[in-house]
Amino acid sequence: MAITTKRVNKPEMDLSELSYVPEIVRGLGLTMSRFIKNTFLPIEKGEIATIGYPENRLTYKERFRGVHRLTHRADGSPRCVVCLCCSTVCPAQCIKIEAGEYEPDDPRFGYERYPKSFVIDELRCIFCGFCVEACPCDAIRMDSGLHMPASTLREHFIFDKESLMAIPGPDGSYQTGNTRHEPGDPTHPGIDRKLGH
Amino acid sequence: MPTFKLDGKEIPFETGDTIIRAASRQGIEIPHYCWHEGLSVAGNCRMCLVEVKSDRPMMLPILKFDENKKQFLPDSKIKLVPACHTPAAEGMEVFLDKENVRKTQEMVQEMLLLNHPVDCPICDQAGECKLQDYWELHGSKYKRKRTEPVHKPKAVRFGTTIVYDAERCILCTRCVRFCEEVVGDHVLDKRERGNKSEIVLSPGRYLDNKYTLNLAQICPVGALTSVDFRFKSRAWLLRSAVSICAGCATGCSSYIDYDPRTYEVYRIRARKNMGVNKFWMCDDGFMSYKLIQKYRVKNGVIRAAEQKAVSPGDALQAAAKALSEIEGKRIAVVLSAQHASEDNAVLAQFAREVLGTEKYYLAAYGGWKGDKILRHSDNNPNRAGAIRVAGRGLAPTNELLKAAEDGTISAVVTLGPAGEEKLDQLDPLQKLSAVVSLSSNIGAFTEVASVVIPVAHYAEMDGTFVNAMKMEQRFSRALPPPDRVKPAWQTIIDLARAMGKELECGSLEDIRKRMPSAQAVEAEGSNN
Repeated sequence: MAITTKRVNKPEMDLSELSYVPEIVRGLGLTMSRFIKNTFLPIEKGEIATIGYPENRLTYKERFRGVHRLTHRADGSPRCVVCLCCSTVCPAQCIKIEAGEYEPDDPRFGYERYPKSFVIDELRCIFCGFCVEACPCDAIRMDSGLHMPASTLREHFIFDKESLMAIPGPDGSYQTGNTRHEPGDPTHPGIDRKLGH
Repeated sequence: MPTFKLDGKEIPFETGDTIIRAASRQGIEIPHYCWHEGLSVAGNCRMCLVEVKSDRPMMLPILKFDENKKQFLPDSKIKLVPACHTPAAEGMEVFLDKENVRKTQEMVQEMLLLNHPVDCPICDQAGECKLQDYWELHGSKYKRKRTEPVHKPKAVRFGTTIVYDAERCILCTRCVRFCEEVVGDHVLDKRERGNKSEIVLSPGRYLDNKYTLNLAQICPVGALTSVDFRFKSRAWLLRSAVSICAGCATGCSSYIDYDPRTYEVYRIRARKNMGVNKFWMCDDGFMSYKLIQKYRVKNGVIRAAEQKAVSPGDALQAAAKALSEIEGKRIAVVLSAQHASEDNAVLAQFAREVLGTEKYYLAAYGGWKGDKILRHSDNNPNRAGAIRVAGRGLAPTNELLKAAEDGTISAVVTLGPAGEEKLDQLDPLQKLSAVVSLSSNIGAFTEVASVVIPVAHYAEMDGTFVNAMKMEQRFSRALPPPDRVKPAWQTIIDLARAMGKELECGSLEDIRKRMPSAQAVEAEGSNN
């Protein structure tokens, strides 16, 4: 197809526009009105979209996916049983977990295992929330309401098991609403090893 | 060949075949737990029940729930037969894809899962578990049982290699039959009856034979798992490379399972190869994966520079310089029974065309006892291959030491980590003006060598082993070699180039064409 041209005329300007002065005054007026509105009115009445972070902070929505936390059991140990579902599903491959086995005299021995180390690289994390959905034990959550704090050190973004377990949920609790029935508890769906067999 | 019909499809069979064996030969899997191709028939899991067409079928009286009358009424159904136990016959008509057969499989599946703990998140078998597979296929229903499951021993150590979980066990007795029939060691048995039944060790015994890790592989569920692999990874994270076990001259077919994200090897599994190892491997073979990444030589070493680690390229240049200064006829070449035929072929060619030497030796490991099942008395995977590609007799390494003592040689190029001799026996080599060692792992040769050039491990290259039965078996690369490290054949070509000679073999195909070879046996692949 041949290239065609289309002629576009310059817009015509009238005398006040050509002399610049009235237009400059108009523009400065707009700037000043905004300046006064945003400086002296309270934030809610102003029309400005940004806030004075970090003094002022917005509350995040309830389902905001923030920094991960590892939920606790009643005795303070992690709920995680190292099924590796989260690290399998993680598209950024930022979760690395090592499993440990309970001692033979522990009531959980044979039934469960625990994370010896649980490391999330929050710099690699894309905050998709797949790990939370994949977890069969409600052990990992992103409901902390925190975004990643700023730092210039890479190590500050590598969260280990202890730091992940030290982050509370939105209600300040380290546990979740889903109650756990531990092996050995009377509420557990049937573990009475004294009966033997 | 006579045939029978399975769901309308003609299945050829040999005399003596059962239905399930003939079908599995055709690649059709009839659901099963207890049946294993390499073991006797137990017929206890009842998963392989099929219907065989008959003019006078045997009818079983049953009670059937009538939806309209809301009560159980007498009815009858055709008696099914176990496919693992029923011999195939000419003209037989077998139905697998039929409502009553499917219903039976669902019921068997539900029965097996009645007392199962369903602890898949922490079970090492998850991902390769038959209970999971068949639940997806035949059941996919929620558990109806609401009462407490029967509890049995958990995480029982059956020895140093195997952990037993009685709650996950479906009592197919594959493990009992394996120990008895393949190993000939009646160490496992089943005790009690019904839902109290479990697998136990013989009194006073442990699983201490040389084939225990096969149990972890043949167990269709997560009841018997490997202590070594326990909690290390998940089956779905691993990728398998087709390989050959380098443990002994039997050359068992194997898979190397590694994590493709980190290239870390987690385990070796036996691969079906009816010509060599059938379905099994020995424990040393299973555990040999540890040597792939342990005790590795990753940098070059120049001993004169006080063991300084240098880049492989610098080590190569130093070796070329040292060898160029010595008359080629006074340089001995040590081929390796641990390395692939390709590596040995190029080294032999290097000896012929670059050095022109007549002094060939073979380094081979010793000091290992074989048995009559799989373990060959020679623990070198490729002794036959090294001799074949050299095209001549190879003297053992103790004659190399004699020659070094006598002063008939003044330098040596060795392939592989070590020979039969221990480090303190290799003192005569210290007198030589140059000892160039091409090795993937640390061994006696790398300790005495004046120059060490790192080369790739067999798991890091494509190659060929010739086993004791003179079968050529190809293995494929599982992992990338360490940084700047190449397979030995490539390193030797580079060495020749650094010495100013070009070897006329550029690729693996070239080398294989020049290798004197019989028909290469491609091992058939199977996950069983």
